[in-house]
Amino acid sequence: MVEVSLENVSKLYGRKVAVNDISFSCKAGEFFSIIGPTGAGKTTILKMIAGIEKVSSGEVYFNERLVNELPPQERDVSMAFESYNLYPHFSVYENIAFPLRAPKIRGSLSPEEERQKVEGMADFLGIVKLLDRRPVELSGGEKQRVSLARAMVREPQVYLLDEPIAHLDARLKFSTQTLLKELAGKLGVTIIYVTHDYREALALSDRILVLRKGEIEQIATPEELYHTPSSDFVGRFIGEPPINLIDGELVSKAKKTFFKAGDDFSIQIREDLLGSMEGAASQEDGKRMVRLGIRCNNIKVAEDRIGDNSFQLPVYAVAREAESSLITFELKEVFLQAKKEEWVNYALSDKVWLDFDQDHILFFEKTIELTKG
Amino acid sequence: MSRVRLEHVWKTYPGNVVAVKDVSFGCEDGEFLSILGPSGGGKSSTLRMIVGLEEITKGDIWFDEELVNKLSPHERNVALAFETYALYPRLNVYENIAFPLRARGQSKSEVDKTVNSIAEALDLTDILKKDPSALSDGHRQRVSLARALVRRPNVSLLDEPISHMDERVRAVVRARIRRIHDELKSTTIYVTHNQAEAIAVCDRLVILHQAELQQIGTVDEVWNEPANRFVASFVGEPPMNFISGKLESPQHVSILTKGGKEDFEFRGEVDPNYVGSDGISIGVRPQQIKLSRSKGQEASIAGSVKIAEFQGDNAVLTVKLENLDNSEIKVVVPAGRMGGEGETVWLEFSPEIIHLFDGDIPIIQRKRG
Repeated sequence: MVEVSLENVSKLYGRKVAVNDISFSCKAGEFFSIIGPTGAGKTTILKMIAGIEKVSSGEVYFNERLVNELPPQERDVSMAFESYNLYPHFSVYENIAFPLRAPKIRGSLSPEEERQKVEGMADFLGIVKLLDRRPVELSGGEKQRVSLARAMVREPQVYLLDEPIAHLDARLKFSTQTLLKELAGKLGVTIIYVTHDYREALALSDRILVLRKGEIEQIATPEELYHTPSSDFVGRFIGEPPINLIDGELVSKAKKTFFKAGDDFSIQIREDLLGSMEGAASQEDGKRMVRLGIRCNNIKVAEDRIGDNSFQLPVYAVAREAESSLITFELKEVFLQAKKEEWVNYALSDKVWLDFDQDHILFFEKTIELTKG
Repeated sequence: MSRVRLEHVWKTYPGNVVAVKDVSFGCEDGEFLSILGPSGGGKSSTLRMIVGLEEITKGDIWFDEELVNKLSPHERNVALAFETYALYPRLNVYENIAFPLRARGQSKSEVDKTVNSIAEALDLTDILKKDPSALSDGHRQRVSLARALVRRPNVSLLDEPISHMDERVRAVVRARIRRIHDELKSTTIYVTHNQAEAIAVCDRLVILHQAELQQIGTVDEVWNEPANRFVASFVGEPPMNFISGKLESPQHVSILTKGGKEDFEFRGEVDPNYVGSDGISIGVRPQQIKLSRSKGQEASIAGSVKIAEFQGDNAVLTVKLENLDNSEIKVVVPAGRMGGEGETVWLEFSPEIIHLFDGDIPIIQRKRG
């Protein structure tokens, strides 16, 4: 079990910068996720840690040991690839057993011990029935679980898992995610996990690194990331539906400050929030403009007026969820969505009252484009 | 807009493969109906028979009072939008939408009027001049929808229209689809394998599995009174939990644990013949279980939190029931009440959340209202 540290690591492909001067460290025993959109550089980072890709500059450390020049087999890492990379001529059993037969370990396991390990892992991941098959006979989801089993069957210094459950259907994905969390807890080993799915990252991780175009946007615990994203980009990337983002103007009237977006939408901003709001605001066409962020479950919706600061909007549409409703409103530039913990039957264009919980309002500088989708 | 009715419809493929088995249901004029089920359950065949792309082996399909079995897709006047519905790459958005109208020989001014009004309803006015290659997924899907709807179809059929779309925009696209339906007062049939999506948009759900109709009902009915154990498990994520118990009386069911017998009261009528049976499956939804960190007055089952998965506003707990053969049960709690792994908790099932099954069959009748 090691601590993995990257110091000022960059990766260039020709003149294209894939990873730009990033530093972080993943503690020994930590479940550390790297998330970001496609092309952000997630897999490149993982491959540099594995030793499959060389760093262009910077250092990679396992504990105090500089590993830049070590080949993959000497780093003692175990990797699961999104593309599975199963050996086509081997059975599933032989694929999973393969890492146990690597030169370094060979001889240390009796056939009986090997069988126990392989079958144990296969059983855990629900693929015992597949052990005698060949990869070509498997579905994508089955191949992915075989690939995961092969990665997890031995105990290296670090596990590097690249989208290991991305291709499972929804229900299997959830159950495998739970198994993976159980396994991680049991092993207590350092795991670096790459995904584009915020759900997996939130559920599994001790900490999460959000990557944007080869650079670190934020590193935080799942709770911090969800509640206090450092930018509009992070807020938008975490959560379903994504955080509401509204661009508006700061208007001062009689010593009160209002956030105003169009004619229907104006709320007075609590005094203790003015500092953070001013910090994020910028001058546009002679106006003070700022981007407000709030999650759908921090907006109260009711048929009657809620408080002094509530306002009315017509209902655009209502969608039902397990035990709640997601109500959509249309603003000039964006849609606004609010959750209500019951099933409502609002008709089209019914006017209802909204109230923003100011304990959960965030202000951002504008770093992403907003569209109505 | 039309009312659609399927009466004892069958689809058999060569080799005696039954894809749709004696399915009957109706979709009212102006209704939004979701057809939900796992892949291979018969959804696509059903959809294709409604559209007219697939011959009906047996049974009848009606649009209002007209039997459409023998009508071509064109004569049925249905709009079909797939997620991957290809747009004409050389035509701009306006021309793509106008295409079916021109094909019908409408005048230039008629076409213009119709295209503009549908573009406004779908919020496409700003992009009418763009080429399909320059569009986002959301736009492309709406253009495809606009082209389908511009003909004023009798029925709109949407086949997995957003299942591969970027997650960021899905919630908004769902809202839009529902809005368009409400505004145009169309009859919409929406096919998906995704239960959350089906629930989100529809008035009623049709659930198909293994070629057969499992249930048709409002979201409320399907959620609270699933017709069988398959429906109970398929709708909801995480799925309903099942624990084995004994029916003690017409009002009580018990669970035998190592710590003793726990009696749970339930609401609704049960066939008295079942009293005394054990091996009854008690179903409880993870979203409805009440979790406490101390033992209260109410009947409860003790367990320990094995795994806690943070989800944002909620957390999913996997609770191990040590007194019940280490079986596991899922509970959804607000994230603020997630707690830590290893904690001891008590799970309470209030009378209205208890479902009882004898094998596949639900045995509680609940009064409506």
